Amino acid sequence: MTAFALPRFVAPLLRHSLILILIALLVFFSIQAPAFTAPTNLLTILESSAVLLIVALAMTLIIASGGIDLSVGVAIDFGAVFALIALKDFGAPWYVAIFAALAGAALVGAFNALLIVGLGIRPFLATLGTFFIGSSIQRIYTDGGGPIAFRRMEQGFRDLAAGNIAGIPMEIVIAAVVLVGYYLLLERTNFGQRVHAIGLQPRAARVAGIRVGRHVAVVFILAAASCALGGVILAATLRQFTPLAGQSYLLDAIAATFIGASIHPRLRPNVPGTLLGVLFLGVVANGLNLLGLDFNLKSALSGLILVGALALAGLRGRAG
Amino acid sequence: MPLPLAAASLAPGLTLAMTGIVKTFPGVRALDAADLDIRAGEIHGLVGENGAGKSTIIKILGGVYARDAGDILANGEVLAGGAAADMHAIGIRIIHQELNLVDHFTVAESVFLGQERTDRFGGLAKRRMRREAEAFLRDVLECPLDGQTLIRDLGIAERKLVQIAAALIDGKARLVVFDEPTAPLAAAETGRLFNAIRNLKARGVSILYVSHYLGEIVDICDRVTVFRNGRHVAVLDAPNPTRTDEIITWMIGRQLDDLYPAAAVRTADGIEAEPSFAVERLGDGRSFADVSFSLAKGEIFGIAGLIGSGRDELVDGLYGLRPPATGRVTRAGRPIRLDPALAVQSGLVLVPRDRRRDGLVLDLAVTDNINLASLDEVSTAGFRRERRANARATRLADLLDIRPRSVGTRAGLLSGGNQQKVVLGRWLAAEAEIFLLDEPTIGVDIGARAEIYRLVRELADGGATVIVSSGDAAELIGLCDRIAVLVRGKLVEIVRCGEISVDGLIARTTDAAGQRVAS
Ligand SMILES: Nc1ncnc2c1ncn2[C@@H]1O[C@H](COP(=O)(O)OP(=O)(O)OP(=O)(O)O)[C@@H](O)[C@H]1O
Ligand SMILES: [Mg+2]
Repeated sequence: MTAFALPRFVAPLLRHSLILILIALLVFFSIQAPAFTAPTNLLTILESSAVLLIVALAMTLIIASGGIDLSVGVAIDFGAVFALIALKDFGAPWYVAIFAALAGAALVGAFNALLIVGLGIRPFLATLGTFFIGSSIQRIYTDGGGPIAFRRMEQGFRDLAAGNIAGIPMEIVIAAVVLVGYYLLLERTNFGQRVHAIGLQPRAARVAGIRVGRHVAVVFILAAASCALGGVILAATLRQFTPLAGQSYLLDAIAATFIGASIHPRLRPNVPGTLLGVLFLGVVANGLNLLGLDFNLKSALSGLILVGALALAGLRGRAG
Repeated sequence: MPLPLAAASLAPGLTLAMTGIVKTFPGVRALDAADLDIRAGEIHGLVGENGAGKSTIIKILGGVYARDAGDILANGEVLAGGAAADMHAIGIRIIHQELNLVDHFTVAESVFLGQERTDRFGGLAKRRMRREAEAFLRDVLECPLDGQTLIRDLGIAERKLVQIAAALIDGKARLVVFDEPTAPLAAAETGRLFNAIRNLKARGVSILYVSHYLGEIVDICDRVTVFRNGRHVAVLDAPNPTRTDEIITWMIGRQLDDLYPAAAVRTADGIEAEPSFAVERLGDGRSFADVSFSLAKGEIFGIAGLIGSGRDELVDGLYGLRPPATGRVTRAGRPIRLDPALAVQSGLVLVPRDRRRDGLVLDLAVTDNINLASLDEVSTAGFRRERRANARATRLADLLDIRPRSVGTRAGLLSGGNQQKVVLGRWLAAEAEIFLLDEPTIGVDIGARAEIYRLVRELADGGATVIVSSGDAAELIGLCDRIAVLVRGKLVEIVRCGEISVDGLIARTTDAAGQRVAS
């Protein structure tokens, strides 16, 4: 919507520039660090991106509905600790532990839904509150924040991190299932369509007869519950519960979602984009690591990518 | 008249000639070598069907879009550029069709947005801006508003006037473009706006005036250009009411026989037999009170009233957007809970007055907007079936003659009239029984209006109940069987349409008539 549009051919280039940059990065790393292209390393990238992907997908759903969730970390942690309690204190089998994790995290989502839908608090502030409360509960529960170890973890549960299906590590399988689930939900179902409508124009959605509050509540509960799977993977990998561990995924999840939105023609959060965003961050972290560069550089580069993606999106808006 | 506009008399009106203007959007040639020629100090009308390109040429004039080809001459000089800043600098001011105010700004902040007054320390001169904004609104637009009021607390008409004030307050306007300014206004506000426009003209400012109300065009304009399919097809001198038919013919390329359809059966007398929808002593404790009426199947029922008569609030109340505090609503004798989702489920639907904000999800495709309220019917087990969704949307787009026909187009890119048809299409898709139409033909061209009226009458003849809330008295009389008159939140009378004239209805909606009825 400005007077001086960029040349026509620029728009498609900009639209795909992120993918081009990702390819360029891949090429760069594989030349600079030959170990980068080793199959085991590529698998490592995917493996280490699994938890972030799950959390970022949850974030994508929430941002698509017009909200934001600063308490995804709490949902991850609650998932982990509920699973651990089920295993350790109740001797439950692995599938019951997963169920406990989902329930524990859903509680966090339900609390958010209560604040946002029930009390009309804006998502940013409501989930900030949940974050503070949830973090505090974890510190109190662990007497100040020390990890709770569980060395003799049932094999079935440990396999959720260490096992594999046809050679594919279990985390990747779980993340892939969540990915497909979210794709179908957001891009293929009526529910997803309504969520997009709510995120774009809540008043118009209401006039169209959509129960906005109910949908937003489901979005927050569902997102939190799926974060629990991230918590389960963490707990199974480390064989312990580390309080506040989930928090470290928050900012990356938001970044991945917006990097992903920047490739959408109308800058909407979307599942394929989020996958791309997560891979971007994973490749950067891994590549820098192999080059032996300071790990602190990773944040700077992630930030650059995010800002770059948004800037490209802005340019594209101009190119129309 | 005081302050701000005085400065405008210093700047003589602009002579503007646009020739051979071309503008293409992906898939649409919005302007196809269009000419537009405005003389200094005249009020120039621009009319045309929905999608004819009126708003597009205006956006080019305002520097919002760049033209693909064509020349613009201002006072005889070719304008090389065409960026928004250039256009502003030569005194072109545009009152766009779309309201573009920020909800949580105050009136004063909105009027001075981007042109803030500062005090001698460089701080914001808040008090002064508030005073000037209030004075301008009161004296020039005859709309007394508190400068501290938030935009979101204003009605759509008042917002329009704030938008106009923001464009004119600097007093440097030389050509003011009004794109359908009266669409959200009732008769009285329209009168005030016309005073302001004539005022501008008296100061030598040139005016370009776009409207679908041909009555206004022939009333206020010195010359009229007619657009059709992105081109000028006629320029008429000295338009007057006897030339309205001529203008219509140029616009739609054929003659329009009847704007309003005849009813198959006028059901106004069968009402008591079987009320399909009854409102009993409804009130919201603020804007309207004690409203009662009952409607039969097949009836078209009008609601007339000025801004502030409680008409908007009543419609919102009936749909449950703002649940009423007292009274009840029954359908087929049974009380119903007022809530939009329940309403839609039970076939009571709303075509809202502000279609861009409440009617459509602008960023979604036409298909998605049409199917939004009845997604279950174009899906299997909750999963969307694109082909079915598109087929249904296409069928309705054909039925309603939505242009462009490709239902994948984003709803926000359609012209005003076509957007309205999309909202109607959604409720046709949902097979509704009771239609609440709030200002259904705002911004809709005369040909499409006739189609919408015909459609509404067909719905009623098919057994639907239709409630039409409108500020357009002629529309109510032409379309409805009965009309309820609201004055200051009270339903003062229900009139039969055959028994009242347009002027009579307008008089009844004003206070004076209301008091006469009450006494
Ligand atoms: N940004 C855009 N992108 C794509 N198509 C557009 C865009 N803006 C307008 N159009 C199309 O260009 C054509 C002209 O639209 P325009 O808004 O100028 O019509 P109009 O004469 O103002 O109609 P109305 O009376 O309904 O306001 C329409 O077919 C419209 O759908
Ligand atoms: Mg227009």
